[in-house]
Amino acid sequence: MEAISYYAIEASSELAAERGSYATYDGSLWSQGIFPLDSLDILIEQRGADYIDVNKDKTMDWDSLKAKVATQGMRNSNCMAIAPTATIANITGVSQSIEPTYQNLYVKSNLSGEFTVVNPYLVKDLKQRGLWDKVMVNDLKYFDGSVQNIDRMPEDLKAKYSNAFEVEPRWLVDSASRRQKWIDQAQSLNLYINNASGKKLDITYRMAWFKGLKTTYYLRSLAATGTEKSTVQTGTLNAVSAGAAPTPAPVPQACSLDDPDCEACQ
Amino acid sequence: MLNWDDYHTDDPIKPASAAVTSPEPAVVENAIQAAAEEARLAPAVTAPAGVAADAKGAEALASNLEKAAEALANLDITPGLEELEMGAGRISVDEKAMINCRADLNQLVPFKYDWAWQKYIDGCANHWMPQEVNMTADVATWKNDDGLSDDERRIIMRSLGYFSTADSLVANNLVLGIYRLITNPECRQYLLRQAFEEAIHTHAYQYCIESLGMDEGEVFNMYREVPSVAKKAAWSLNHTHSLSDPNFNTGTTEDDQQLLRNLIGFYCVTEGIFFYCGFTQILSMGRRNKMTGVAEQFQYILRDESMHLNFGIDVINQIKLENPQLWTSEFQQEVIQMILEGTQLEIEYARDTMPRGVLGMNASMMEEYLQFICNRRLNQLGLSEQFPGAQNPFPWMSEIMDLRKEKNFFETRVIEYQTGGALSWD
Repeated sequence: MEAISYYAIEASSELAAERGSYATYDGSLWSQGIFPLDSLDILIEQRGADYIDVNKDKTMDWDSLKAKVATQGMRNSNCMAIAPTATIANITGVSQSIEPTYQNLYVKSNLSGEFTVVNPYLVKDLKQRGLWDKVMVNDLKYFDGSVQNIDRMPEDLKAKYSNAFEVEPRWLVDSASRRQKWIDQAQSLNLYINNASGKKLDITYRMAWFKGLKTTYYLRSLAATGTEKSTVQTGTLNAVSAGAAPTPAPVPQACSLDDPDCEACQ
Repeated sequence: MLNWDDYHTDDPIKPASAAVTSPEPAVVENAIQAAAEEARLAPAVTAPAGVAADAKGAEALASNLEKAAEALANLDITPGLEELEMGAGRISVDEKAMINCRADLNQLVPFKYDWAWQKYIDGCANHWMPQEVNMTADVATWKNDDGLSDDERRIIMRSLGYFSTADSLVANNLVLGIYRLITNPECRQYLLRQAFEEAIHTHAYQYCIESLGMDEGEVFNMYREVPSVAKKAAWSLNHTHSLSDPNFNTGTTEDDQQLLRNLIGFYCVTEGIFFYCGFTQILSMGRRNKMTGVAEQFQYILRDESMHLNFGIDVINQIKLENPQLWTSEFQQEVIQMILEGTQLEIEYARDTMPRGVLGMNASMMEEYLQFICNRRLNQLGLSEQFPGAQNPFPWMSEIMDLRKEKNFFETRVIEYQTGGALSWD
């Protein structure tokens, strides 16, 4: 990231030497010699050092670049941002740049229709261990693309393939905060919170602000219930057993908060 | 040219201008004249005009208050108190029952049937309205002569024709039939939510029919004019007859079984089987990027219907648990029969709506699918499968129905949401 940042700024400065700086360059942070890395100090001053858990290490020769910008100016007021890459990512077979995968098996839906997306890395790992079979596909469908409750799933893969709702927003926000060190503009950061509560939202967004995020993008949640599944034998929508045994009315199971598919919570 | 004068052209016509454009202006004029005449003559009787009118008004108010006070003073609360069981002990969970319950019907808490309450909460979190779905592409497809084949148009018309009737039938049965017979407030709470959802569904069909500019008379009368649709509607209606008799009540084995028959007829067969051929056809169309708006409406409806169906099955199983004497082997046999009848009617509907292969499916594939659904319903009620080994021949349904959907906010309405009120602020 440091190199991308360095050369992007340098390229814009070279353009300025050729065609002149952008109209409002004078008085800008660039003109004052304040680079993304320097704005970190301003941020620490304003939000408090406790919030900005970012090391200020650098490996490139920023001083000479600063000198260059000071003499040549900048052609662009902003050079870097991280854009959302939803459908592009699907087309190229990767997940959405800075985000965990939505689910390990899910449907992408947009104006051009719907298509199934499966996490190819998970499939590869499972194939290597001889675990990729029809039962596994069935289990993935049953658990809506989450691997956490599949008995046969090895523990290390459960940790590796947590979906976006299973990775707490704190990690997404913290990572974005560290990334911001090199970025002059902002990042399109989507947040995923199932079982959202006022408190969770309040903390997440205020933390994002304190940690110096310039923006967040979508906030995604999950529906309370889904349609009865058509290609999986058993369903989760019935609460009363069909068995003849006269048992008392079922009490909902105790919630384990780390289960995003807990029906009681949804 | 754009003109501000057109700004009000679509406004509803106000009564004042209605009089001007009325086909019988003379009559209206006469009436106005007569009224004016009356008004002119009236004050002459009681003079002085202004004061008398005020005094008369005050007098009328006083007499209204007097009458109300008098009525309250003479109020006989005994009949009401009987219903409220004054002085009886507080309601305990054990006293609550699905049917024939003597406990107070007005107390939601203490909860006994948490699952019913949870379904009510989930139903609310799933709330949606038909106008939120974009129908523009559908209108273009429908109006374009090459947009759809005749067979595809037939499917759309039949589906809207059947469903617009069926959801009204279900709503009527809920409100006019079973609501008073289910004697616990948690389930009633869900029934009220379900009744509203049926209204939303009927609205959705009407919205589709209107957006597409269909012949409304043809669509809405299909349940009387098209045999395969009429048969299904008639079958459902058959099971609501006895309950809609205001004198019907549960309490005997026979009557309780009658209620169960109705619940099975409506939840397991009407909502659990009769909807499945049409739903599958429409979803398949959406999958091929045809009539995507209608297909999206149906996806929302199907999510709601899944809840209705599974609520109904929970209710039936709970009644079975509390009243095992109702679930005799003869009665089980009868239920199997009912579900088979429903499956057969739906297969006939599939044949009628798909005289040829269409959308990558045909009537015999649909037959297998419906047998698969039939098995599932029997399973859910704890009965034995009647079509061993029947499979779902449409693997693509996994994409349309089974998986979580990541939708683009800018392009389509997101289906993974929970309405604002569902957010907790603890």
